Amino acid sequence: MVKVIRIVFQVIILYLFSFIGSWIVQSLSLQFPGSIVGLLLLFVCLYFRIIPVELIKDGAGFLLAFLALFFIPATVGIMDYPELLSWAGLGMVLAIVLSTVITIIFTGRFCQYLERKLLEKELIE
Amino acid sequence: MIASMMIVGTIVLFYIMSIVYKRFTYPLLLPILSTTVLIVLILIISKTPYDSYMSGGKWINELLGPAVVSMAYPLYIHKEKIYKYKFPIILSVLSALFSGIISIMILSKLLSFEEHILLSLLPKSITSPVAIPISETIGGIPTLTAVFVILAGLVGAILGPSIFKVCRIDKAISRGISMGSASHGIGVSKLGEYGEETLTMGSVSMTLSAIFGSFIFPLIALLI
Repeated sequence: MVKVIRIVFQVIILYLFSFIGSWIVQSLSLQFPGSIVGLLLLFVCLYFRIIPVELIKDGAGFLLAFLALFFIPATVGIMDYPELLSWAGLGMVLAIVLSTVITIIFTGRFCQYLERKLLEKELIE
Repeated sequence: MIASMMIVGTIVLFYIMSIVYKRFTYPLLLPILSTTVLIVLILIISKTPYDSYMSGGKWINELLGPAVVSMAYPLYIHKEKIYKYKFPIILSVLSALFSGIISIMILSKLLSFEEHILLSLLPKSITSPVAIPISETIGGIPTLTAVFVILAGLVGAILGPSIFKVCRIDKAISRGISMGSASHGIGVSKLGEYGEETLTMGSVSMTLSAIFGSFIFPLIALLI
């Protein structure tokens, strides 16, 4: 029970960061996702020990563990787009499949190459 | 009343499908996919419009903001390792963004998509709470982007493991970085099966990809 209260309390803190991020973005009328500003803000606060990591640890762990759940309501929105099952829709799906596969292969191989270079350099030094 | 029914129903279905997935780990049983399909079927059969589902669904959706903020936590915990590999990580995330953008532009030309479709497709590799405002900013259709983002996530989660095998992508960093920057949270949620380091690299790259993307996509949109 104590743990549940702690998680709820910490989620509220994380929600506040998200809220402050959105507020900053809106009041400066920037075209930028507020949640990312909240993320950067929280990282800075953790890094400079303005807030201790224990204050958000369980809440963040909880939200990240159920990340997939939070996407579901937006995903269900797919039902309002039956045209995705048409030929034009299949074209879009095909574009997404190909582009994503290309991105994973290219990035994975490229990253592995860079990592190896870095380790080789370390061995020489 | 309907609202709380939708909330509880979504959570319970997701919970059941997670248990089913743990038991069989078959890619098409991925909880986000199976739960979504079931909810859509239930709504269509019971003739419930999406808007009434969202009267409850929006409360779950509301947690996406704090969930994005939460990603500061793995970033903070693994800051030394990220610092050590900063160049491979940053360069790889940027290359993922650009290979995604370039391939989508070429495919859009080949398949002759209209401009608003292209603009909605561009941020597909970014986590949805960030991709949706980006889509709005650059003149895409946010709802379409939401759907495209999910699809890109599912492609990574379903095909990723086979791609890793075939293309011999076998390091924790490269697996995490490529999955996180191509298929965001949905892909990353699959990485847990490879261990904690891969999972962390995944959330690091999806976070960096969202941050870089917030700057890069509006610039790219100006060029189109």
